Amino acid sequence: MIHFSKLIIGYKSALFTIENLSLQAGKLYALIGSNGSGKSTFLATINGETAPISGKISIKDKLFTAIPKQEKSRLIANVSSKFEGIEYLTVHDYVSLGRHPYTNFIGKLSPEDHVIIEQSIAKLNISELSLKATRYISDGERQMASIARALAQETPIILLDEPTAFLDYGNRIRLIRLLKQIADEENKCILFSCHELELCLEEQLEILLIDKSKKSLNLLSNNLSKKEILEIGF
Amino acid sequence: MHAITKYNPENTNEFIVRELRIPRMIAAIVAGGGLSIAGMLMQTLFNNPLAGPYVLGINSGSSLFVALATLSGLTFFTEEMGIISAALLGALCFGTIILGFSFFIQSSVSLLLIGLMVGGFSSSFISVLETYASAEELKSLTLWSMGSLQHLELDELRHLLIVFAIGLIGLSILIKPLNAMILGEKSAENLGVNVFQFRLLCITVTAIFTGLITAYCGPIAFVGLAVPNITKLLFRTQSHATLILANFAIGAVFLLLVDSFIQICEPWIILPLNAVTSIIGAPIIIIIVLKRIK
Repeated sequence: MIHFSKLIIGYKSALFTIENLSLQAGKLYALIGSNGSGKSTFLATINGETAPISGKISIKDKLFTAIPKQEKSRLIANVSSKFEGIEYLTVHDYVSLGRHPYTNFIGKLSPEDHVIIEQSIAKLNISELSLKATRYISDGERQMASIARALAQETPIILLDEPTAFLDYGNRIRLIRLLKQIADEENKCILFSCHELELCLEEQLEILLIDKSKKSLNLLSNNLSKKEILEIGF
Repeated sequence: MHAITKYNPENTNEFIVRELRIPRMIAAIVAGGGLSIAGMLMQTLFNNPLAGPYVLGINSGSSLFVALATLSGLTFFTEEMGIISAALLGALCFGTIILGFSFFIQSSVSLLLIGLMVGGFSSSFISVLETYASAEELKSLTLWSMGSLQHLELDELRHLLIVFAIGLIGLSILIKPLNAMILGEKSAENLGVNVFQFRLLCITVTAIFTGLITAYCGPIAFVGLAVPNITKLLFRTQSHATLILANFAIGAVFLLLVDSFIQICEPWIILPLNAVTSIIGAPIIIIIVLKRIK
């Protein structure tokens, strides 16, 4: 789905390199690394907000820089951890914005759009929040609404920047399991950054670890112990 | 009604309705609706409920250019089309300046302060220009700056409506990106909005509405700031298709009411339009600021 080769990630100065890495559809990847190691910059690079220092990214065998903006919005959905809600914007209308790349020039929703919006809301179990303003719901509920919006965008790739940051322990587990289920059932490639190493190991996720000393990003092999991982990453 | 369908210029009543009342009403509708929509555009563009064409100094741009045009004595600029072009150009110039500043300034309060400074700068500049004006020019400029819906003549109405329609076409393209822009630039970009293009078009449409209305009716204060806030409070939505229609309707009704009030008072006191909109608008803004601090 996404392929990186000889990629150097950074903003002005290099943060880390990726020699050769492929992310596949149907899998949930956890991006783990110490503070300031470049997790957010990496996500921003895949998102197209920050340019890499050098190297290549390709999505579905297409060179990233050659994909027009309009098409990118149908390939990658982004869930920001910084969404604080907007007054008068209901959860339903927020999720509807996910259909933006597909609607006509005045943004009118078709009957199919409405079906997709309702399905996305139902999948996240937030139907009862539908008519509430995004400003006045809890952090956890807002996170669910943001993921529903990303689902409504119907992209093969979803990126989430620290989605578990404001959630309690129970909700963290629930969120990670839900993301895994979505990746599996809808054959999406989902990548999220987080600090919950134990949780990711327990749930047997694919872990992308930023090596602190070598300044490189690698996919972890399954037989590493927690102690070894801590030595590499922190 | 008769004055519109079977106009008879000999009849005084029909003459008053056709030549005075109707243009004045249309001026109120276009000015109230247009300024409210311009305010809504600025508030979404800068993600700031206290933004508006007046506080951001876009009106002042028009005023400055119109003053320059009237006082420069160039014959081209004293004609009606000359005034409109000067007002549009001024609004566009100052709108672009504010847009330019917004790239460097994160805080929305700082941006408003810059808008006020730009406004202060141009009004001082106008005062300097006025010292060189003849008594006649000075009087017409002062009257114009008080704002009025009566200057519009029937022949000019067509030009006003044509330019207004051009603004509306631009506005229709903006509806979709406006809805995405409330999530912020990055999220809008992720949804496929070309943010740079959007910003330019947004400021252009605002400049068309503001410049056009300023040219014909003078700089009208507070309508573009107060009405969009009232509209959001009443309609409780972020759907810009609804907001545009509602802003137009509420803005038009607001200015019609203000103008009726002025006409009712006319036998006793002559109220400048700008004074009345400020007297009503300023307290509304203060209430909004107080509510937001809470």
